[in-house]
Parts: sequence; structure tokens; C-alpha cells
Amino acid sequence: MTDTEAGKGWLGRKLKRKEDYRLTTGKGNFIGDIQLPGMLHLVFVRSLHAHAKIVNIDTSAAEELKGVVAVIAGKQLAEEILLMPQPIVVPNIPANHPTFGPLAIGKVKFHGEPVAAIVARDKYVAEDAAELVMVDYEMLPYVGDMEAALAPDATRVHEQFDDNIQYESSLTGGEEIADQEANDVRVAKIFEEADLVVKRRYRCHRCGVTPMEPRGVVADWDHAEGLSAWITTQRPHIDRLALSDILSIPAEQVRVMAPRDQGGAFGTKAPFYREPILICHMARKLGRPVRWIESREEHLMSISQERDQIHDLEIAARSDGRILALRDRIIADGGDGCEGVYWGYLMPFLGAVLLPSGYDIPNCDIKLKVAFTNKAVLSPARSFGSYPARFAMERAMHTVARELGLEPTAVQRMNLVTEFPYTTATGFNYDSGNFIKVLDNLVEKIDLTGFRREQEEARKQGRYLGIGFGLGAEASGMASEVLVQMENQPGYGAAMVRVDPRGKVQVCDGDCSQGQGHETTVAQVVAHEMGISPDDVKHSQGDTDNTPFGCGTIGARAGSYKLSAVAQACRHIKEKMSRIAAHDFSVSAKPEDFDFIDGEIIYRKDTNIRTTFAELAYRIVMTPLDLPEGEEAGLEHTAYFEAAMPMICFAAHAAIVEVDATTGQFEIKRYMTSEDMGRVINPQIVDGQITGGVVQGISNCIFEEFVYDDTGQQLTSTLENYKLATAADVPHVEVTHAPTPCPYTPLGSRGIGEGVPGPVPGALSNAVTDALEPLGVEITELPLRPNVIWKLIQQNRQAAE
Amino acid sequence: MYPSVIDNYVRPKSVDEAIAAIVDGGEDAMFIAGGMSLMQAIKSRLVSPSCLVDLQDVSEIKGISSDDTGLRIGAMTRYREMANADKLRGAYGALVDAAAHVGDRQVRNRGTIGGSLCWNYIAACTPAACLGIGASVELVSRTGAKRTLVADDFLGSPLETAREDNEILVAVTLPTPEPNTGSAYKKWGLVADALPVVGVAVLVQTDAAGICLRARVAFSGLGDGPCRSAAAEQVLIGARADETSKIGEAFEAAAAELEVQADMWADEDYRRLLMRELGKEVTATAFNRAETGS
Amino acid sequence: MYKDVTITINGEEYQEHIPVRLLLVDFIRDVAGLTGTHVGCTYEGVCGACTIQIDSEAVKSCLMLAVQADGHEVATVEGLAQDGKLHPLQEEFNEHHALQCGYCTPGILMNAEEFLKENPDPSEDEIREALIGNLCRCTGYVNIVTAIKSAAEKMA
Ligand SMILES: Cc1cc2nc3c(=O)[nH]c(=O)nc-3n(C[C@H](O)[C@H](O)[C@H](O)COP(=O)(O)OP(=O)(O)OC[C@H]3O[C@@H](n4cnc5c(N)ncnc54)[C@H](O)[C@@H]3O)c2cc1C
Ligand code: FES
Ligand code: FES
Repeated sequence: MTDTEAGKGWLGRKLKRKEDYRLTTGKGNFIGDIQLPGMLHLVFVRSLHAHAKIVNIDTSAAEELKGVVAVIAGKQLAEEILLMPQPIVVPNIPANHPTFGPLAIGKVKFHGEPVAAIVARDKYVAEDAAELVMVDYEMLPYVGDMEAALAPDATRVHEQFDDNIQYESSLTGGEEIADQEANDVRVAKIFEEADLVVKRRYRCHRCGVTPMEPRGVVADWDHAEGLSAWITTQRPHIDRLALSDILSIPAEQVRVMAPRDQGGAFGTKAPFYREPILICHMARKLGRPVRWIESREEHLMSISQERDQIHDLEIAARSDGRILALRDRIIADGGDGCEGVYWGYLMPFLGAVLLPSGYDIPNCDIKLKVAFTNKAVLSPARSFGSYPARFAMERAMHTVARELGLEPTAVQRMNLVTEFPYTTATGFNYDSGNFIKVLDNLVEKIDLTGFRREQEEARKQGRYLGIGFGLGAEASGMASEVLVQMENQPGYGAAMVRVDPRGKVQVCDGDCSQGQGHETTVAQVVAHEMGISPDDVKHSQGDTDNTPFGCGTIGARAGSYKLSAVAQACRHIKEKMSRIAAHDFSVSAKPEDFDFIDGEIIYRKDTNIRTTFAELAYRIVMTPLDLPEGEEAGLEHTAYFEAAMPMICFAAHAAIVEVDATTGQFEIKRYMTSEDMGRVINPQIVDGQITGGVVQGISNCIFEEFVYDDTGQQLTSTLENYKLATAADVPHVEVTHAPTPCPYTPLGSRGIGEGVPGPVPGALSNAVTDALEPLGVEITELPLRPNVIWKLIQQNRQAAE
Repeated sequence: MYPSVIDNYVRPKSVDEAIAAIVDGGEDAMFIAGGMSLMQAIKSRLVSPSCLVDLQDVSEIKGISSDDTGLRIGAMTRYREMANADKLRGAYGALVDAAAHVGDRQVRNRGTIGGSLCWNYIAACTPAACLGIGASVELVSRTGAKRTLVADDFLGSPLETAREDNEILVAVTLPTPEPNTGSAYKKWGLVADALPVVGVAVLVQTDAAGICLRARVAFSGLGDGPCRSAAAEQVLIGARADETSKIGEAFEAAAAELEVQADMWADEDYRRLLMRELGKEVTATAFNRAETGS
Repeated sequence: MYKDVTITINGEEYQEHIPVRLLLVDFIRDVAGLTGTHVGCTYEGVCGACTIQIDSEAVKSCLMLAVQADGHEVATVEGLAQDGKLHPLQEEFNEHHALQCGYCTPGILMNAEEFLKENPDPSEDEIREALIGNLCRCTGYVNIVTAIKSAAEKMA
């Protein structure tokens, strides 16, 4: 770095990540790397059945095994701790929140539910003991089909409720039933009079974004200090409060720490899960450190399952392609619904809210029902609830266009929101942006016109090339206004910035990175604001003992909320430094009269008046003599950034595929995105979020699926069966930019990353549909498997004959 | 996730020592070669051997050699070596194709031909390739007696073989190839180089005019384990490389003849389609290799 | 049930008395305390996070018992940098942002290091093929491929 590069100009820079040295040399510090003296290992015994009464659990043989310290089952545990739900992790949304404990009580409700647990000195011995636990089950009917589950006479998953409807509501028409009905009538009328109505059933399968590192907990108990727990988590502060409540430990005696490094999360580490409760409880009960490291099998059986939705979606359109109204009846399979914060239904709920995507459709009638079933609860996955919604919406837009003989992007473009701020019919806010610019950029860069010529040529040769577009207006962090209701927690971003006597800056916040590179982007923001080098910034996070409350690393908040709080805190400190500098130099200057550049603080009106950042820091922190009147000692500030309104980021994706009509197999020849992430802090990091999210989206769309058989046995609990895309299965993803700075954040940045997979299923399935248009094939179901595509080709050929 | 207790582990240096060790090890003793299947089974506690007899130091059963009777591939020869073996190209190219796409490079660095044949997994590449090219296996028993079985007799239903307990597979043997012989193997799985949903191995020997004199056709990924299709072979005999519809018929005959199952990767019809489409492609490659010799 | 083994890891000899059933990955992580090697599978051995080298060949250490490595040389990510100097692969991974969470990274580095010795000038497709045994959930592979290509050029 040359001298002139320092100072301003740290934003938008491709700064190499600070995290990489330790991670490329094997010096990362993940949950599995934490060792405490005398640490015990906990292993779960999990249910072999989807729905069965527990008649008896015999743990005697397990208890007798040498090296086993404790064995516990659900009934006993229920006498020792409180049960869920606890208010701190229950949304302020009317829904059924089932009662449950970390270990099943009375009956099991999905294949893989924890039934008992072993604590042993050695992890191998713990597994030996787990094999010795004998559980007698009495089978109950398996509730596996979400539509059948909703029938009034269906077997109930939870006896405490009258039926299997966990959540039911209208997302449109207002709060009052009468208003909703009036809205429905109005929308129905538009449908009756429309030039074109497209109605389809779109089905998105169960899949998620399982990270490479499964979950884990290390808990330690000290009679004087209480509980210390390291948890793989996206929200240590919420975990702390929830653990305090459910284990009845005063909050000041609960310390939760996110390990410095976490091997990805993408939403899966955001809920308050049942397992950490037990690990922490056992550490307290035994007075010894206890560790649980989730196996991949446990992970695939119990978490990271999402996206399981059916949309009966209708669009009313004018003959020129203008969308007049949208109606959707959504049902989601929420599984057993037992999961703190999200409860299985929150993903489909948000997905329904986000359904209109970036389109201006004031007339909507959208209703959602979420069913309890004997499957693992839905848990968050990047593109939270919206992946299936985007699939349905973008497929429908393509179909409307083709029924009218129009180019799909023309119809998409014509219907995009152009005036901001905008509120969707579902009440979601679009703060700002330029959607058309984003789409136009993509259409141009992928050369749609050129492609259509190529496609025509190819069709003459009997080759099936196709292009598809998928769009998405994704939440870029959520404000308190939304989160207080939705997740019962604030939405502000918080950061503590401290300048030390040597002029180095320390930043602490209560969130935690799982690969997003916060240490680097935080350092860039501080460097930008303070005019120092990012090397002089140290960032730490995730320890509830010494960070301000943070609602977590969720929903692409870092770019929008956290970094804004960092910038605000820096500005606050700069003002103080400027005031003291003015005082020391005896100039009557306003704070903005000082420039912070290249490690110096320079009086703009007379640049001979200057001092170094480090000197002034030392002067203020270490020699607090002769301060201006009323000025406190110290250089430290905690800032809270609350957005004026919820913010979004908009993206458009395009895929070009070639389908082999003989086998239904297809190749993604090109995949390109166009992004508006506002002002970019670090382009490399942002582009990395996008390529990663796109490949997750592709992998979800084609390869991944959680499969339950007719009796509820989960058949995909290994990476051999739950297939993730390898490097050889995916294209080189091209990322392009069409930014519009966000006027509502101090840096103009938008948070990005969470919603990236959303537009993928639309782009891919539209591309396959486009390729096979001459054969009349239309994709309405995921996953997009060759077998299914081939069958559709066969059916259409037969129908044609 | 973790193996159950294993009482003993030995590492013999010769076939004789290996046999002695497996006998000493008792009923639940097992050989371990690359461990790429066995370790999965041990870690999932599907098997719990009391003693492992590790064959890694038995150098006499490593590597590929040839003499005037043919080729000999030691049981402990790894995929890595087979994938790069010039000696196998052309007539026995199916084995190269199979080995080059087993799993991933880490797996190919350890997995062996002997282990693969003895495990005989339902969706395994090597057993089908060996059936396709007409390989034989050489086994040595506790008495030191040697027997040779053709792959057809050795390979049984999935996870079953004609190997007796305590018998060690020492080598896979292949006759010196007849002139104008070529073979190939290809599989399809959902992701790259995954276990085959269907895999097809084809060997053809042609006359000077390129007409097929002899054919062998074998499949992997079918419910009954690796198997040959007599019907397909029958149709191929007399065919030329450019008779694509006839070649297609051969694989339709195979699809009609063999039991085809549905599972979460493919339904029955799609498996049949894969048999035909892969079959046509593999046959074309085999013809080409028969002609060019590489 | 127990065996004495001598396993050399990154040039350092470990003489230990270990259970036969101990997995090599646990020997590396728990006995030698080298936690750069990660675990991402139950028993299937698909993810590649545990990839190390035995006698300079990339293998998955979750699919081996420690006793099988007796007498062999193991190399892990901790040994990749020599005398404080990063390996070109490590440098290029940093340069091209080829990692996010870094959980897959050590395994990928150990596999790629051997791969580049075998194929010093690989094409993009060859690199992608070579990575089949290493899943990465964060990056979408794009930058990993670029970094490996770039390291190959640097090492040429
Ligand atoms: C990630 C992954 C992907 C894979 N993908 C594929 C694939 O695409 N296609 C495919 O075909 N396979 C695949 N496999 C399996 C792989 O091919 C195995 O290597 C092979 O099946 C077993 O060979 P091995 O040398 O590892 O044998 P081991 O696992 O060591 O042994 C297998 C069995 O054979 C016995 N045995 C071994 N050698 C002898 C001998 N000489 N005499 C008597 N008995 C013996 C053992 O006792 C054991 O019962 C994959 C494996 C993994 C882990
Ligand atoms: S831990 Fe996944 S391959 Fe070894
Ligand atoms: S960087 Fe996170 S899995 Fe690869």
C-alpha cells in the first residue's frame, strides 16, 4: 500500500481479508477446536421413527458402561428444566407454538428427534453407550403430506392443538377479516375481467443450505460465575436470554460466545435450538464441561430443511403484459414446528410477504397455511421462505409473457416498481433502488438479442438452447419495526468502537461472522472514517460479556445495519477528537473543519495545524488534563443504527442452458447476475457472497432434496444421498453490477447475501422451459431433475401424437 | 460416526502371512485394503470387525504386470494406477474409464480393485467393468490353494461374492487381448463422478471390416447387482459401429431382459433410457478403440 | 485394543499408544492437537474437509484408522507454510478470496497441493474435476478455481 492510498479510499477497495491468514494455515478457531480440561462428550439417541409413542426407555445397560457419566431421557429432563416455548423466542404473531423439551416426552414426532442423551468421558464410548439404549415404540400413523395433514380429521402431530394448522392468515387486505374479504372480492373482480389469467400449481421441494460445519456446543459451569457456553450461532445475545429463561439462571450468570470462526451458517445457526439447552443443563448438573458436536447425519435429519411449499398461484394480466392482480394460496409443510424463534412457519410467512418480488402489483390476494407434519421442522436457509415464492412468481411471469407472445424480460420490466419508497400489497417496504437499471444491465451484458439469434439457429439443428431470467427484491436487514413483531427482538445494528492510547481502534459487536469477512469490512469502514490503516483496526464479536446487544448475523444485516453503526460510532468519536484538537490548537473550529487522513488530523483552513491520530488519541486517553469544559475522558462510543425504513437490495439473474431432449439432462452454459448492493465496501467480498449464493441456489434447484419415504423415514441423512453440487457440476458464475447507493445508510451501503439464491430457481427453470418451448414443456415443480424433464418431454410428445 | 471397539490390527507382509493373520483373527476378522468402503461400514457400525488385517504392505499383490498369457492386476492396485495404466488402454479401456471416475481423487488414491470386487456394492463401477471385459479373479485360501473364477461366477448379488471367509483375492487376470478389441465404460449419476445410477461397460471385438465378432455388455446400478445382458450381446454381434439403431436395439433388449428398479435417483423408465443412451455412447467408444487400439 | 504407533506429522514424530479404532482424523486433531484438519461427514467421507496427505498423496483422514498410518508421513495444512513463508496456494487463496468461512479450505489446499504436482498446468475443467472430493458451501467455487490456476502459474 502506498501512502496516498491510505486515508480515504478504503471503501470499495478489494482489500485482502484479514481472516485468511489463520484460516489458510490451520489456525482457525472453530467450535470443534475448543478443548476444556475434563471435558465430557454428549451424544444423542435419536428417534428411529417418524411418529410413535415412547412406551419405555431402558438406559440401564448404557449407564453401566465404563466411562459413561450420565444418561438422561425426556421425562426426567422435564422435571429438571422448563420447557419451550419461552416468550423471548416466540414471535408476536398469532400461531400455534408447541410445547417441547430438548428430549422427546411421551412420543416422537419426526425421524431423528432426540430421545435420550449420553454423557461420557470419551466420544467413542458415548457412541457405544448410545447403542445400548433400548427404546420401545408403539407406532402412530405418519402424517407426511401437508395437504392431507390440514384435513380436519387428520391424525394430529400435537395433541395439544385441535388440528394440524400451525399458522393461517391472509397477507393482504389489512388486519380485519371484513377488509380482507372486501379485498378478495375486489381482486376476484379484476380476475373476471382480465384479458389473460394464468393459473398454475408450483411445488418447491424440501432442501436447504447445510453448511460444511455442523453445529456444536461447549458448555462450562462455575458455581460462582454461572454458565459459559460456546455455541455455533448467528445470535449469541438471543441465545443468552433464552438459556437464562429456560434454565432459570439469572441472565448475568449466562455468558454465550460464538466461536471466533464458524464454518458457514446461511440461516441454519440462527434459531434457538433444543440441543444447546441440554448441553448447558448437563454442564450445570454435572458441574463439568460438556461438549456436543453435531454429526452430519444429525444435521441432515434435524436442521437445514427449508423451502417446502406449494403455491396455487394465479395472475391476471392485460394483453400488453401489464399485471393486474395476483392471487396465491400457499401451503407449507412446517414439520413438527418445534424450534425457538422460527417455529417452522416464519420462513413461509416471510416468503409470502416477499412474494410480489420487485413487481408493482397493488391488487393481491395472498393466503398462507402452514401445516404440522411428522418431519423435521423447517429451519432458516438463506433466501428465507422466498426461494419457493420466487420460483412460483418468476415462472408465472414467464408463462404470462409466453401466453401473450411476449419476451419474458419485457413483461418483467414493464411491471417493475419504479417509484420509491414503495409498499407492496403485503406491506413490505422497498426503500430505494433502480430495478429497471439492474434488469437492463443484465439483458445487455448477457446479450439477449444475440442469444435469440443463436437459439433460432440451434433450433434449426435440433438443439434446445434456452434463456431464463429470475428477479428478486430481497430484504437487506430488517428494522425493529419488522423484527420486533416477527422475531420479538430489535432490528438495530450496534457496535462499540474504542480508540486505544496508541491510536489503534478496537471494534466489538454482538453479532458473529460465519465467513462473511466482518473483520475485514469493519476495518475498512473504520479506516475510511478515521483515516487510519485497516491494519490498525481489530474487530472482535460474539461474546455476550463484552459486546453491545446484537440481534445477530441474520438477513444480510451487516452491510446495512452493523457497518452503519460502526460508521456512526466512528463519527461520534471523530467529533470528540476534533473538539479537543480545536481546543488544543486554540482555533475556533467546527468538527467538520478537521480532515482525518493518512493517520493525521489536519485543520482544513490551515493545514500547518495538524497532529497525528495516535498522538491525539494518547493525549485524550492518557493525559486527560486541560480538556475543553464539559468534555469527558476516554475515546469510546457505542452506536446503534436504526434504519428509517426497512431496506432492500435488488438482483436479476440469467441462465443459459442447453437441454438434451433425449435424456432431459441439461448443461448450464452461462450464469450471470446483475446486482444492486448500493455502495460496495469490498467488491471481492460482495461478489463472493453472490457466487456462493448462486451455487447454493443451483445446487438446491437441481441436486438437493430431503426425501422421506411413506413411513416418514428420512432417506437423505448423508452427503452421499443429500447431494451438494461439486465444483464440476456448476458453471463459472459471472457477477455484474448496477448499483444505486442507498440514501438511508450513512455509507450508502446495502446488506447483501441473504437473498442471493432466491432468483436462481426462476432463472434456471425459465431457461429449461424456454429451451423446450418447441416441445411444449413447462416446469412447475422442483427439483429440476433430468428424470422429471425427460418425463415431461415424453408426456408432451405422446400428447402431440 | 466412530467405529466400535476393534481388538486387533495386523499388517502382514505377504499373502501367506495375510492368510495366517485372517485365520488367527477369528470369525470377525476382516481384510482392509483401501478402506474406502469398509471404513464407511465400520464407522456406521454396519460391521464391527474384531481384527483388521491390513493389506497395505503385501507388495506381491500390487501393480499391473503382463506376460504372454495376459495381464495381471494385483488386488492392491489402486484406482489411481489403473486410471493411468497404458497397458489397459484399448481392449481393457473400460477399466481405465471406470477407475478414472470413481468418486474423487482422494478416493482413487486409496481404493483398490480387489476391495471393490470383494465389496461388490450395488452401485459400483469396477465389478461391472470387470464383467464387461471378461476378467477373472484369483483367490488363495487358508490351505494355500489357489482358484480362479471368472468375474461372472465371482460376483453375486450386491454385497455378495463367491469368496469364502479367509480367502484372499490376490489378482484380477485378463487374457492377452485379441486384435481389434476395444472396451469402454460410462456411468451417470446426479453429480459428477458419483456412484452410478446406471453404468454400462461394453467390449467389442471386430473383424478387419469392423463387424462385431464378440461382444460383452455389463451394467452397474441395477438392483440385482452387476450383471451382463446376453440379449444385448446377441444383438451386437454382427453389428457395425455406424448401425446406431441396431445398437440402440441391443440396449433396449437389455432393458427388457434385466430387472430394473426405481429409487430416489431415477424411476424404472429413466433407468432404461440411461441404459440405452449410455449403451450407445459406450459402444461407439468401444468400436473406436477396437479400431484404433487406444 | 491398543497399539503403539509412530506417525510423523509435518516432520514431527509422534509415538503414541492408541486404540485401534481411533480415526486418523482424531489422532491428528485430538492427539497431535493439529485442529486445522476438519470434519464434515458422519461416515460417508464425501465432504473432503479432512483431506490430508499420506506420503505426499491426498487422502481423507476420516476414512482411515490411525493405526493404518503407522510408519507413514502425514502432512496437514499446518505444515504447508515453510519457514514462515506461505505456500503459493495459501497466498493465492487470500489474493483471490477463495475462502469465506474457511472450513473447507485446509482440505482443499492439501488436495490441490498434490494435484498441482501431478498437473502443473491445469485447465479450468481439470481443476474443477480435481475438486470433486472437496465440497465448499460458501464460495460457489469460482474463486477457488481462479486461485488454484493462479498458484499454478506462480509455481511454474
Ligand atoms: C466418497 C466415495 C466415493 C466413491 N465413489 C465410488 C464410485 O463412484 N464408484 C465405485 O465403484 N465406488 C465408489 N466408491 C467405493 C470405492 O470404490 C471403494 O474403494 C471400493 O468399493 C473398495 O475398495 P477398497 O480398496 O477401498 O476396499 P476396502 O474398503 O478396504 O474393502 C472392501 C471389502 O473388501 C474386502 N477386501 C479388500 N481387499 C480384499 C482382498 N484382497 N481379498 C479379500 N477381501 C478383500 C474387505 O475386507 C472389505 O470387506 C466410493 C467411495 C467413497 C468413500
Ligand atoms: S470428514 Fe468429510 S470426507 Fe472426511
Ligand atoms: S469457504 Fe466455507 S465451506 Fe468453503
